Amino acid sequence: MSSDLTKGASPVPPSRGRIAERLLPDGTEPDPRFTLANERTFLAWIRTSLALLAGGIAIEAFTADLFLEPVRKGLAVLLLLLGMMLSAGSAARWLRVERSMRSKAPLPLPLIVPLLAAAGALAAAVVLVVILWR
Amino acid sequence: MALVTVSAIFLRWLPHHGLPILALFTVAVTAAATIYLTQRRRYSTSSCGILQEKVNAEIVAVLWTAFAGVVLGILGIAVVLAS
Repeated sequence: MSSDLTKGASPVPPSRGRIAERLLPDGTEPDPRFTLANERTFLAWIRTSLALLAGGIAIEAFTADLFLEPVRKGLAVLLLLLGMMLSAGSAARWLRVERSMRSKAPLPLPLIVPLLAAAGALAAAVVLVVILWR
Repeated sequence: MALVTVSAIFLRWLPHHGLPILALFTVAVTAAATIYLTQRRRYSTSSCGILQEKVNAEIVAVLWTAFAGVVLGILGIAVVLAS
């Protein structure tokens, strides 16, 4: 008799976890290729973030003879802050894109792109001014 | 791989920044090791998910990776300002 009750019952889908249920509560699972592509894009941004972090550490060291200490430290802190913001921003972007895909809404604009471009231009401008002023 | 490369860069500048740079090295290596040790499970889950046409988003992995980046930034700023 118990077998008759369970016959035809659909299997319980695996739990997504508490954090996933909380941060991605609505909608349906998107095409798995899109989820994996979103994760790959996130990892690409993380690689850029790591490059900025490493650059921030290195620039303070190898430009000791090129720039004054305040300029050196300022540039290093700028790069490190940018790396941090990119790391956090890429996670926020990943979450927004995942939510958009789940609810079949248009993808959000990537705000970290203009942020990175503006900060990079600012850093380059600072270096140019310092080099020309010397 | 990127984390391993970055950890090597941190180690490269140890003579300039001193022992505090080892904190960044430790965080980067720990993150790299965690990713390496869990990658087989994640690949297996993703492969099965593609076959079944349903993949759960790895939200915990994403949050931890981003958190590692933020921690590296905070430690980096502390090291630069202290040196």
